[in-house]
Amino acid sequence: MEGVSYQRFPKVKIRELKDDYLKFELRETDASMANALRRVMLAEVPTIAIDLVEIEGNSSVLNDEFLAHRLGLIPLTSDRAMVMRFSRDCDACDGDGQCEFCSVEFHLHVRCDSDQTLDVTSHDLVSSDPSVVPVDVQRADSVGYDTSEQRGIIIVKLRRGQELRLRAIARKGIGKDHAKWSPAATVTFMYEPEIHINEDMMETLSLEEKREWIESSPTKVFGLDPNTQQVIVIDAEAYTYDDEVIKKADSMGKSGLVEIYAKEDSFIFTVESTGAIKASQLFINAIEVLKQKLDAVRLSEDTEEADDQFGELGAHMRGG
Amino acid sequence: MNAPDRYERFVVPEGTKKVSYERDTKIINAASFTIEREDHTVGNILRMQLHKDPNVLFAGYKLPHPLQYKILVRVHTTSQSSPMQAYNQAINDLDKELNHLKRVFEGEMTKHPREY
Ligand SMILES: [Zn+2]
Repeated sequence: MEGVSYQRFPKVKIRELKDDYLKFELRETDASMANALRRVMLAEVPTIAIDLVEIEGNSSVLNDEFLAHRLGLIPLTSDRAMVMRFSRDCDACDGDGQCEFCSVEFHLHVRCDSDQTLDVTSHDLVSSDPSVVPVDVQRADSVGYDTSEQRGIIIVKLRRGQELRLRAIARKGIGKDHAKWSPAATVTFMYEPEIHINEDMMETLSLEEKREWIESSPTKVFGLDPNTQQVIVIDAEAYTYDDEVIKKADSMGKSGLVEIYAKEDSFIFTVESTGAIKASQLFINAIEVLKQKLDAVRLSEDTEEADDQFGELGAHMRGG
Repeated sequence: MNAPDRYERFVVPEGTKKVSYERDTKIINAASFTIEREDHTVGNILRMQLHKDPNVLFAGYKLPHPLQYKILVRVHTTSQSSPMQAYNQAINDLDKELNHLKRVFEGEMTKHPREY
């Protein structure tokens, strides 16, 4: 039964680490693994989001279902999500009650009694669980905003006499079910480019030609060394695999001036979180979820046993 | 009104097996695995990992239809191995790779100062 292992040992180098932003290099694995991790981060890492809304009173300008949709899209802090149960397989409740294993209850009651329009924001949502609350937007991005005025995510605006009263149930879910459960704002990866300049050929270019060639790239990949007037790579990762510099070299009669390869085992990942979980935790959870998925696709023992008998038969047939 | 539940895309219905195995009747050491409620995420990493096994002569997967939530993985091996052995080995290797990845990522995190 034992085979030789063909396991890989990927390497990671973190470049930037913030609560809602992560940039890192992933090496010595292949695109299928990079892409599986990206797909899991987008659609299969669980978070908590409002899923059921009971409107008790709504005299605002937005209709009930519009509000329910907006409430669903508010990111909630979801560190608990990995250990929570999905409502559909929670046996402690019927899936629609207040059950601490699978749901969190919210209340909202706002009434406007002044002549000024009143903003109903995510801060007006009162949670039954202090660990599951609307994400604090101002802490994440307070630059350029008057922090005293801009609070939370606006749900609706009320004028004098209007009132909104509701009860909401938040549940665990995944982005595959509905995008409101996706913890990722964006997840991207790119192949690391490897750029080789043919220095001898480059020296046959005049300074003007060098400038013209550098300018042919839509992104700032190349530049001139101010001292030596040599063409240098300023930012290899700015290259978008657009081939413009290669076409330009060809049109100048300098084919082979530059060669650019995509290193097929090196990836640069960018992960941006909605704030529901930290970007670094998002990646760790994605690894965990992918492990669980793989575990679920293991063959069951009865399938293996049923085949073992066949296997012996097969061995006889092969004359073994 | 008669729309199917959204969770039907990823929850295996009761009474259905997650993975079923079918041996090829004509070719020895060839088989296909039908995996319910999985897609390219699992299909592609399995296929690529199977390709690393020199005893695997063929490994491929397909998502037959976007509204049929299952994938088919077909494996053909030499007589030194079997589709089942290769399949199990691929899952074990992927699992170990992910364990390693988690370890190195967490190691990197402790090295990295929090930026603000
Ligand atoms: Zn429950």
